[in-house]
Amino acid sequence: MSEDNSPLVIGFLCNWCSYAGADMAGTSRQAYPPNIRIMRVPCSGRVDPLLIVKCFEEGADAVLVAGCHPGDCHYTEGNYHGRRRFALLRDLLDFMGIEKERFRIEWISASEGKRFAKVVSEFTDEMTKLGPRKVG
Amino acid sequence: MGEDFTQQIRDKAKELLENGAVECVIGYETGSDGVSARPAFIYDAAEVDRLAFDNTCTHNLVKYLLDKKGKSTAVVVKGCDSRALNLLLSERQIQRDKVYVIGVVCPGVVEWGWNKRSEQLQKRCNWCRQHTPVVSDFAVGEPITEEPPAEFADVAEMATKTAEDRATFWRDQAERCIRCYACRQACPGCYCIDCFVELLDPEWVGIRIAPDENWMWNTIRAYHLGGRCISCNECERVCPVNIPLSLLNRKLEQEVLDLFDYKAGMSEDAPAPLITFKKDENLGIAE
Repeated sequence: MSEDNSPLVIGFLCNWCSYAGADMAGTSRQAYPPNIRIMRVPCSGRVDPLLIVKCFEEGADAVLVAGCHPGDCHYTEGNYHGRRRFALLRDLLDFMGIEKERFRIEWISASEGKRFAKVVSEFTDEMTKLGPRKVG
Repeated sequence: MGEDFTQQIRDKAKELLENGAVECVIGYETGSDGVSARPAFIYDAAEVDRLAFDNTCTHNLVKYLLDKKGKSTAVVVKGCDSRALNLLLSERQIQRDKVYVIGVVCPGVVEWGWNKRSEQLQKRCNWCRQHTPVVSDFAVGEPITEEPPAEFADVAEMATKTAEDRATFWRDQAERCIRCYACRQACPGCYCIDCFVELLDPEWVGIRIAPDENWMWNTIRAYHLGGRCISCNECERVCPVNIPLSLLNRKLEQEVLDLFDYKAGMSEDAPAPLITFKKDENLGIAE
């Protein structure tokens, strides 16, 4: 949570689709909230659950993982593996008191700049409504 | 049960050691308090009378097989332990032809302490749906074929609390954790030589024993056993501050059952859910 009480969102974007999608949002001048801090990763399958848990440990309000649409992975199957890991991790974190809504997984392609901006705007709005994490 | 099981295990151990089939028999013996069991390593046929089996035989001896790689070893397993055997076999940590399994149909183990034993079954035995070992070369006891369906009342109860209460609950647990890693040491599934918690680069978990770091440790410990935990609940038993680790493990067990229809350690061939995938599954993500 930053000083002005707006949520801190960490975004892990895959190099081949979602990061290019974010680039597209920028070059096509789509505005999206500055709350998201973007990490570029080679693949959504590279996003070790440790990274996500670490974000929450260090005080992030929400985490977004975005990758290529299923079937479009640059490495053929990275996002399929990621999907299973994230599904399980999301349930575990929810059980430990980090609401499901705080951890979002989206598939955003390189051409979906508009959608990237929309996802980040909606996600940030949602997190503002949900408020900061109360414990931890 | 006790006398009879003990005798059968002793006889088998004697036979195995005498004909040189195995180098060591890992079983249970009565501890120096004269009441509770402790692990026993028998190398000599003359010593098989040390072996015993009763309802305090709680340890998961499969853990010790990790130190016996490549050496022929016999091991006494209960139902839950036998699933750990399958886990290690499927992860290529042990070789089937080097292990002789003495499978005991488990009557359930009781709560016990130094020099005392109660008649109350341990928590895990109430949840247990695998009294009969899933793998054994020599079976002790009558197999139990009918088991009731799995239930997760404790997990469901936790889920009825608000997110804030749940977070507070686990925060409190993390605050009590002393990060002794007994949970890891007792777990047959925790055998990484370089555990993430001890890595310095990257330093996933700070060396400080404080709630944040402890929370991180407990979360990831549980997660790394997602789809691998075989519910022997040794982690919780050895916890010196009684953190209810079984809640996390069972939550994951339930999710893995729901999402992937998978139960860990039931066969040595079935691929673990997190090393495989299906293309057309959705799992509630990005609908």
